[in-house]
Amino acid sequence: MFELTSNQPTEPADKGARVLAPEGEPVEFLYKGRRFHIHAIVSRWRESGGWWNRIDDGNRHLTEANIFDDGARAIWRVEAAPEGAMTTFEIERDEITGTWLIRPTSRPL
Amino acid sequence: MSIAKRTSFTQFTHLHVASGYSFKYGTATPGQIVERAAQLGMNTLALTDRDGMAGAIRFAQSCETYGIAPILGVNLSLIHKKYRVTLLAQSGALAALYRLLSAINMANDDNLLTFELLEQFQEYSSQVLLLHGADSQLATALSKRRTEEALSIYTSTKEYFADQALECVSHQVRGDGPFSTPLAARMLGFARDHGLPAILSNAVRMLNRSDGPVADVLDATRNLVPLHHRHTERHNSEGYFKDSEQMYFLADEISRAAGERNGRSLLRTTQEWAERAILSPRRDIGIGEIHLPEPIVVGASNREDLVRQLRQRCEAGLHQRYFGAVSVAAAERLEDELATVRTLGYESYFLTVADITDMARSRKIRVAARGSGAGSLICHLLGISGVEPMAYGLLMERFCSTLRHELPDIDIDVESARRLEIYDAVFERYADPDWSKPGNQSRVATVAMVETYRARHAIRDVGAALGIPPMEIDLIAKALPHIRARNIAQALVNLPELKSLNMTTPLMKMAIELASRLDGLPRHLSMHPCAIALSDLGLLDHAPLQRNASGYPMVQFDKDDVEAIGLLKLDVLGVRMQSAISYALQEIERVDDVVVDIDAVALNDIKTFDLIKSTRTLGIFQVESPGQRELVGKLAPENFDDLIIDISLFRPGPVKSDMITPFLNARQGLRRRTIIHENLEPVLAETEGVVVFHEQVIRIISIMTGISLAEADEKRRDLGTIDGQQGVCDWFFPTALAQGYSFEVAAEVWEVLRAFASFGFCKAHAAAFALPTYQSAWLKTHHTAAFIAGALTHDPGMYPRRLIVDEARQWGIVIAPLDVNKSDRSYRVERTNITPRAPYSAPDLLSTGPALSLPDARGYAIRMAFSELHGISDQEIDSILFGQPYQDLADFVRRSGASRPTAESLIVVGAFDELHNMNSKKGEVKSINRRDLLLHLQDLERLLGGKKSLGSGQLTLGLEPPTLEVSGLADFTPSERVRHEVDVMGMDISHHMMEFYGEFLNEIGAIKSSDLIHHRSGSSVLVAGVKVALQTPPVRSGRRVMFLTLDDGYGCNDATFFEDMQDSSADLLYRSWLFLVRGVIRRTGPRGISLRATGAWELSSSYEKWRNLGVCEPLSG
Repeated sequence: MFELTSNQPTEPADKGARVLAPEGEPVEFLYKGRRFHIHAIVSRWRESGGWWNRIDDGNRHLTEANIFDDGARAIWRVEAAPEGAMTTFEIERDEITGTWLIRPTSRPL
Repeated sequence: MSIAKRTSFTQFTHLHVASGYSFKYGTATPGQIVERAAQLGMNTLALTDRDGMAGAIRFAQSCETYGIAPILGVNLSLIHKKYRVTLLAQSGALAALYRLLSAINMANDDNLLTFELLEQFQEYSSQVLLLHGADSQLATALSKRRTEEALSIYTSTKEYFADQALECVSHQVRGDGPFSTPLAARMLGFARDHGLPAILSNAVRMLNRSDGPVADVLDATRNLVPLHHRHTERHNSEGYFKDSEQMYFLADEISRAAGERNGRSLLRTTQEWAERAILSPRRDIGIGEIHLPEPIVVGASNREDLVRQLRQRCEAGLHQRYFGAVSVAAAERLEDELATVRTLGYESYFLTVADITDMARSRKIRVAARGSGAGSLICHLLGISGVEPMAYGLLMERFCSTLRHELPDIDIDVESARRLEIYDAVFERYADPDWSKPGNQSRVATVAMVETYRARHAIRDVGAALGIPPMEIDLIAKALPHIRARNIAQALVNLPELKSLNMTTPLMKMAIELASRLDGLPRHLSMHPCAIALSDLGLLDHAPLQRNASGYPMVQFDKDDVEAIGLLKLDVLGVRMQSAISYALQEIERVDDVVVDIDAVALNDIKTFDLIKSTRTLGIFQVESPGQRELVGKLAPENFDDLIIDISLFRPGPVKSDMITPFLNARQGLRRRTIIHENLEPVLAETEGVVVFHEQVIRIISIMTGISLAEADEKRRDLGTIDGQQGVCDWFFPTALAQGYSFEVAAEVWEVLRAFASFGFCKAHAAAFALPTYQSAWLKTHHTAAFIAGALTHDPGMYPRRLIVDEARQWGIVIAPLDVNKSDRSYRVERTNITPRAPYSAPDLLSTGPALSLPDARGYAIRMAFSELHGISDQEIDSILFGQPYQDLADFVRRSGASRPTAESLIVVGAFDELHNMNSKKGEVKSINRRDLLLHLQDLERLLGGKKSLGSGQLTLGLEPPTLEVSGLADFTPSERVRHEVDVMGMDISHHMMEFYGEFLNEIGAIKSSDLIHHRSGSSVLVAGVKVALQTPPVRSGRRVMFLTLDDGYGCNDATFFEDMQDSSADLLYRSWLFLVRGVIRRTGPRGISLRATGAWELSSSYEKWRNLGVCEPLSG
């Protein structure tokens, strides 16, 4: 069994990151120009809610069918490495736009 | 990482699913959930709503439709209010879960299952399965890693339940708290460590992932707070109805996190538990079963005895009610009906209903049957229905037949004021009073009613959740008609009232969208206003109960559910008219010492029909509305049959399909009646060839095709739907032709059936209504004062009391003022020798037909009632009545217990006039008047030291009581008196309001309502009066028409405002109270008169202009 660390990401997230996820699950990604291979998924979770706070920001392209920006996102905490030391990342997929977001967490494993 | 293909598992079974019957929690109806399960190929499904099982029957019915095996459970608090568990009924033991839930509901309002209750109701809980889910106390302990505590929780409830399992739920939320995979895994690990069963669920509350916002709004609404993260339960949108693949994925994720290879074991246990809880919709849930009270309840020892008893009672009724030739026909018909009842096994049904109507009568509560039940001779012979079915062509088949396997529907009308007495009597007889005892054996409960979200509530709740300003929400909600919530957007486009609001902002769009997604969701379970359900002894085995707001036990099922599981549903409707009739009968006996058996009065009294024909029908059941007064004026009912026709015609259906015009034309001889075929003559003669009744449709089908009446009624029912209609059409033509009818005749008859079948009215129902109509008309004719006192006391109709008071004056009745010594709580009839004005007499003209003989109620007075005084309380009335008689005002103040405002009100409306001899000393210079009494009251009050209540004993402190003196102040003028009357009693009593405008109205040539009949049709007249009704009923053309009814002290004027007049007048009509109306007279029948309005003015402002400026708008404009 594993435990979750509650450490927060320290570096700014890489917005619009490129992630290879052939069956919906991330396998590889590019971060700061380097290709990382995911060795293990430490944990995964999903978040959404708070749509009522985003009624007017106009940042998202919402369809007529769904006018709620529920902020749905899936997050993987992974161990990944290009070579050498392994690092923990959080990879987040915005479920509405499909864009990826990557942030390394502070503690290298 | 991909999911292994699993052929060894059947589809996943959701064991924890909340529908919208988890009020303000679940976002989908049971039907939608079952449909989704079927689409996903699932073959078993549970419904486990929060705190109740009101959705159970719909759920089971949907399951049956889709071929899914149902499981039923309930989610509620165990031991602590903040934790929840899910209970599941074991196969074959649903009754135990129902009884456990009923016990909890009867014991507390929190739906909290305590150890005390578990101890007391272990015989039920020990047949129930328990799931410790993500928001259970056990899960919370494990989330804090308190394994020992978790084990002790599990152990503490173990002995009370059949079995318990850990319910692993992961909504994949972040962290390791409830609904996270780590906690689900820890629960699984805990189960494995201690050898306990663990199952997988998704704690479903939504149908789709996209329903999150709806769930949030419901959370906010339930907690009465605006939307905020603190108040919403979900962290993401995973609590939706996932398909099997998704659930397998979760099983793997949780199991692997718990160190297992895959989720197979977890899924297998889930499936095993599902199988232990599968119910049969019929055998277990009871759909399609019938549970009537046992023979013993009505004193029969077995079924055969029951059959015998029904026959004996019917035959006894037969000998009492039928003589000569007709009794032979009646006996024949009785045999037919009894045979039908025997085939269906409904003896107990009829005898139970008769038992209840007998109970009412033995308590001297008036009772009448309503609906198609009046078509049954058995109902008549048992005394359930007062209408004789044979003379009026009423059919048993319309009510009940062997071809229809559903319990017939009997509704009974009782005195509104005493309705709950009947409830109490029924509960006393059919229920075990100790509802919180295990094994309660009851046969009766009230029935629930599900209130669902419609436009107004939806927009209000969404608006409050989104924090839209209350003023704006209120404006929108009030402007919305009573439509479905999903049609709000469309409706808003057409509402000019909302032009000032910007409805296209993102917030508003979102509110409308959310409101439309609440559409049809249940929002509250309340008590059905009149239905009770009766069953055999095991009512609590058939349905879960709770206490309703009035304290009566109530099944959590609604009336359709109750019917679906075969309970006897009886509507006991409170009808004010029955109370008014009952009151009138008591007054007749009290004042005139005459006992009237109104139910035995012959239905052919000429004077009664004269009164109805005169259109002076105010206060009479069913025929007092402006539209009905116009119709009885045209139709001029001569007998009871005509009254039935009149009531049948005055409905939206016949109005829409224009059945009235051809009927009236034939009736008035303007057109010859046409009957398609001579064989149909006996059926259609009564209605001049026009099809009015369902019974006629049934007979026509039977005659044209040779099938039985029962079969013909099935065909009639089929005509109600488009598909059904085609089916009947395909069958009708060949069958009618085979009977020897020509194609032309068949085609013509078919056209009539097609056109009228859906608009027709059940004649039995109309006849049942016509009886109180006739009875109230008879009382008004022969005992006018007593009847009007009853109408004033029980307020059965649509008009304000001031109009009824005025109606009394017109028949020569004296309206006696409120009097501290003579008045009672309610309106009382008195004998009087005061000479009133001459009563109304119907004009006897060439055009009106024979003279009518109308009531003359001179010699009677109606005494105003204390209950009419604004602000007086019931206790005050009690104590005033207790102290009667009083010697003077001081005595009243001392003993009556009335408050100061009440005493003041009584003075200003003259309740002390007679006591202080104000009326008899007319002309004396120095007499006491009402102003003096007010001063005197002030003095008396001062003595009490400003105490609010003028309680007794306060004046005996040795102080000299003040004396009543003539102050010299002028008395109230007549118009001041009327103003006080209107202020404190809401009506003009001493003078009609119009009297003050008499001079003006005479001057400008306004016509009294009673004189209109003397004016030519087509002439233009001015009328005036007080608004008593303004209606916009449905009309055939679909255009809006406004009907204004004015009372001028001589009767009523009915003016019609068509569309061209509404622009200039609609606002005035809504806003004002006194009117001058110019209109063109239209004679619609012998005594039917209506005015087509061509102008309307506010009376008092016209009057002011006339008095000050000397101009009269209606004449000059």
